[in-house]
Amino acid sequence: MKSILLIDDDINFTEVASHIMEYLGHIVCVAVTVKEAQEWLQHNDYDHVFIDFMLPDGSGLHVYDYMVKNGKKSRCTFITGNPKIKTAISDITGPNVDYLMKPIEREDIENALKPKKKTTPPAKKAASSPSQKQTPAIAPNAHFDCLIGESPAMKKLYKMIERVARSSANVMLMGESGVGKELVAQALHNASDYEGDLIATNCGGLSKELIGSELFGHEKGSFTGATGQKQGVFERAQSGTLFLDEVTEMPIDMQPNLLRVLETKRVSRVGGTQEIPINCRVVSATNRTLEEIAQDNILREDIYFRLAVFPINIPPLRERKEDIPLLVNTFLTELNQEHQESFAVTTSQMGSFINHDWPGNVRELRHTLHRAFIMSEPGTKQLEVPSSFASPFSNAKNNHNSAIVSAGKTIEEVEKTLIYATLKEVDGNKTMAADMLGISTKTLYNRLHAYGEPL
Amino acid sequence: MSNLNKQVHDIRKPLNAISMQAELIKMLIEMQTPDSSNKVTAAATTIIEQAKLCSTQLQTLFEYLEKNTEFEKR
Repeated sequence: MKSILLIDDDINFTEVASHIMEYLGHIVCVAVTVKEAQEWLQHNDYDHVFIDFMLPDGSGLHVYDYMVKNGKKSRCTFITGNPKIKTAISDITGPNVDYLMKPIEREDIENALKPKKKTTPPAKKAASSPSQKQTPAIAPNAHFDCLIGESPAMKKLYKMIERVARSSANVMLMGESGVGKELVAQALHNASDYEGDLIATNCGGLSKELIGSELFGHEKGSFTGATGQKQGVFERAQSGTLFLDEVTEMPIDMQPNLLRVLETKRVSRVGGTQEIPINCRVVSATNRTLEEIAQDNILREDIYFRLAVFPINIPPLRERKEDIPLLVNTFLTELNQEHQESFAVTTSQMGSFINHDWPGNVRELRHTLHRAFIMSEPGTKQLEVPSSFASPFSNAKNNHNSAIVSAGKTIEEVEKTLIYATLKEVDGNKTMAADMLGISTKTLYNRLHAYGEPL
Repeated sequence: MSNLNKQVHDIRKPLNAISMQAELIKMLIEMQTPDSSNKVTAAATTIIEQAKLCSTQLQTLFEYLEKNTEFEKR
């Protein structure tokens, strides 16, 4: 199940080709001009784009250029009716580009759409197969084509991914914002034997009204604005992996519907009567902790147990600091290659990277590097790393003790928390703690005694 | 593009359509959906139309070639 954009001005061709593609289980949009194709591409992301070379208002290459410039990562298949053209343009090659000659047969379409990872041997330690372009896997040391890190915490994670990928169990990924939950989902998909695609959707980004249609699809006319039939993500992920990001942000009254699908393994589109069997692994993700999930009533218990058959915790970056140099070098190599620069990080700069706490995790590290890269003088080798990496969030986390002060607490409670926090900071040294608190050691001992501490 | 080139290109179009409609018919027979037979009929109708179009185009091409070769002879 893929979304396809078909660009050709020959209506007879697009009509029959889109029928064939739809019967093969894909969604097809058709454009007849370069301009129309650009409009489609502006508002939609497609898994695959079929482009005819000769279009009324330009060449198929214009569409390709537009896609490259706008960072579209769809795979491209150029279609041509003329064998001469194929040789003339065969210099635009890439892992994401191939060619088809008209007339196109069903097998041609199937082959073009087939996930390319199946053609490479299922190597565990990714000799980064060129087709995995979606995650720029240039790092030769990437695990499952997309994960980087050699720390014990990550090794443990790799082992879990490998084990669970072989099963069909639903996985729930837990971890702070920016630890790379989507990449782990990709890794799980890469390591599995599933033939279908990885379909990702963000449950937090969908309005309450639209979430049903996004997840389960809808039939034409089932609600105002439903002008056509639509397949939901469960159907699109057929024989593949469905990644539900921020699953805990899903409105609680929508959750029974999700539960039904998970239990019956059947989905019916909104406004539809037919039940469609589904067959995909559901990988869900949340940045909430288990305690929050349990206490705040954000995820129904029955759903949790369905989704988290196998829960995986992704370690925050500060718990695997030994991976920071590896990550910094990988990201920097990526940026250098992209912009033909040769920046390097000095030992002291690397030290400051390692010392930072990275509350935004790998995402923050990556963006900090990107920012430094932009600020640096092009052509030089010196990367301009800022003296402090502070972000509003790192301040908030560093001063998390101040969070104890909130309305509704008594002075005694706050005092007690403050005393314990201070003691923790100075490793239990009471003289130092009293000094910091601005009270005498005697007062401190009195307080501790009142809290029931042995003296 | 030369005139001859364009004409050959134009003849390929209906031929492509014919071959792909036949492919579609094969799929429709495989799938056996309730309205398969209607769709097969529609595809077959398109094939006949396209075959006629192709025939007309070949005639045009023939006349074009005849005219040009006669011109050469002279």
